[in-house]
Amino acid sequence: MVTKRFDWFIVLNYTFLALFCVITIYPIYFVLIGSFNEGSDYMRGGVFLFPREFSLANYGVVLQDERLYVGLKVSILRTVIGTLTSILFTAMVSYAMSRKNLIWRSPYYWLHLITLFFGGGLIPYFLVLKNLALINSFWVYIIPSMFSVFNMIIFNSFFREIPEELHESATVDGANEFRIFLSMFIPLSVPVLATVGLWNAVYHWNSFFDAMIFTTKRDLMPLQLLLMKMIREADVISNSQYIPPQVQRKISVQTIRMAAIMVSTVPILCVYPFLQRYFVTGFMVGSLKG
Amino acid sequence: MQQETALTKLRPQPSLPRRLWKQWQIQFMALCGIVFILIFNYLPMFGIVIAFKKADYSVNLMKSVVEAPWVGFSYFKEFINDYQFRDILFNTIGLNLLQLLINFPAPIIFAILISEIVHKRYKKFVQSITYFPHFISWIVFGGIVINMLSVESGVVVPILMKLGFIDEPVAILGEATAFWGLIIITSIIKGLGWGSIIYLAAITSIDPTLYEAATIDGAGRFRRIWHITLPSISGTIIVFFLLSVSNLLNSSFDHIWVFQNPLNLERSEVIDTFVYKMGITQMRYSYTTAVGLFKSLVALVLLVAGHLLSKRIAGRGIF
Repeated sequence: MVTKRFDWFIVLNYTFLALFCVITIYPIYFVLIGSFNEGSDYMRGGVFLFPREFSLANYGVVLQDERLYVGLKVSILRTVIGTLTSILFTAMVSYAMSRKNLIWRSPYYWLHLITLFFGGGLIPYFLVLKNLALINSFWVYIIPSMFSVFNMIIFNSFFREIPEELHESATVDGANEFRIFLSMFIPLSVPVLATVGLWNAVYHWNSFFDAMIFTTKRDLMPLQLLLMKMIREADVISNSQYIPPQVQRKISVQTIRMAAIMVSTVPILCVYPFLQRYFVTGFMVGSLKG
Repeated sequence: MQQETALTKLRPQPSLPRRLWKQWQIQFMALCGIVFILIFNYLPMFGIVIAFKKADYSVNLMKSVVEAPWVGFSYFKEFINDYQFRDILFNTIGLNLLQLLINFPAPIIFAILISEIVHKRYKKFVQSITYFPHFISWIVFGGIVINMLSVESGVVVPILMKLGFIDEPVAILGEATAFWGLIIITSIIKGLGWGSIIYLAAITSIDPTLYEAATIDGAGRFRRIWHITLPSISGTIIVFFLLSVSNLLNSSFDHIWVFQNPLNLERSEVIDTFVYKMGITQMRYSYTTAVGLFKSLVALVLLVAGHLLSKRIAGRGIF
């Protein structure tokens, strides 16, 4: 297919895509250099390519903020527990829904489908959680997102591809349904579980809306909500934190914010290269066939 | 096979409770899901009743639903008479339609552009770079953009001045007129790459012999895209179009929230942000439930209108 002739389309296409790559990656670079620049110097403007007055003071202040560690703890806990429970629970329901002999399968299915198109809206949902005493509890991050109809449908289309004979032979060997689900269907569907798990983990790590509306306690504040306060309310330094005068000259609201942004992005940057192989597999099975 | 079905017909069916008992394990698993959606999806739907009842500030949902006095459509009237009503409705519909118009087709074009890359390594490189912003939150990405837009230390204002778009430094975030543009551009930068992933997967599963045959028949690149690529991925396009249409008017709260400030409120207040402010922070539960219901009704009207319009023009409806 490669033509020897000079191809204008290819040149234009490559240039456009390169430009777009620069536009997507430069913002992160911009924040990186800003976070390593001295605060008062940064406010003069013009720090576009390299830090002008190199300084670690911003990171010093951010890393001393005890709210950061609370935020990290909450975020990590909800990401790990939330993803695991959601994947297991949704897959379990999905397994039952994929069994052809399940009585009332079709009414169950309709009950699920309806929720994709109709909902009660934010306020009734909030009130339901309030009445379940989930407000201001760590479990508000875990329980309401434990099940997703959309993911259930994706798992379902994967489970249906698993040959019926496998299930039969396991039954003959005396395994019950829970056993078959856990030690046969789960291992067989690792690719799709990993992909959906990845989406789930990204959701948990990045979400702040539920924290903002369902919690008011400081020790339940995830990292993203802390960042939101830093960005929208310029609330960059915790009340109990003492900043010596010689450090104060070296920081600014903007540069501290950037340091905080980098601290929350570094974990993602670290795992990103290893996750890339899971991006597509689940899509291929789930969405295209289902 | 036929014999078997004949035999099962002859054999008397065991009673329903017995059959249920025999499969109690999978029934239990399925019912876990049913109980979940009954609590977290159907109970809130049932709670919509409070939109027609006087139950502001009352936290006990059951009590509100059963005991609070009926007020009919008075909360809907209150919203329509609100001084912000016109702006909010205009922003909600305008922003969402604009996103549907621009952010829906953009990833399809982007996927085609990526699929036209000949060099495998470059392709991988572009993908890795452009997928990345999807993995950072709107709060973080918004924070980055806010820093870049800063008048004193940002990078966008100097560039715009050099290019001659603006004569003097402007605080873009403080300009209500710039808000929609800001939302569209930022959602393209953040979401274009990831949005294209599904279309790219569909394109790679197209049979390459189709392209070879078309090339032999003398079809150029654009004709190949038009006559092979697009028709082959039309199924995926339709599925995702339906998905985004069913989400019509559900604004991306995080995205708008991070850029919203008192100066741009005129063009940035949408129903979702209004419901949050009025409902969660001011506890006007009945009023905001009514506003939320109003949003669903508008979305339904838009859907039906779009359906009729596309039937009139294109000869086939949305569904």
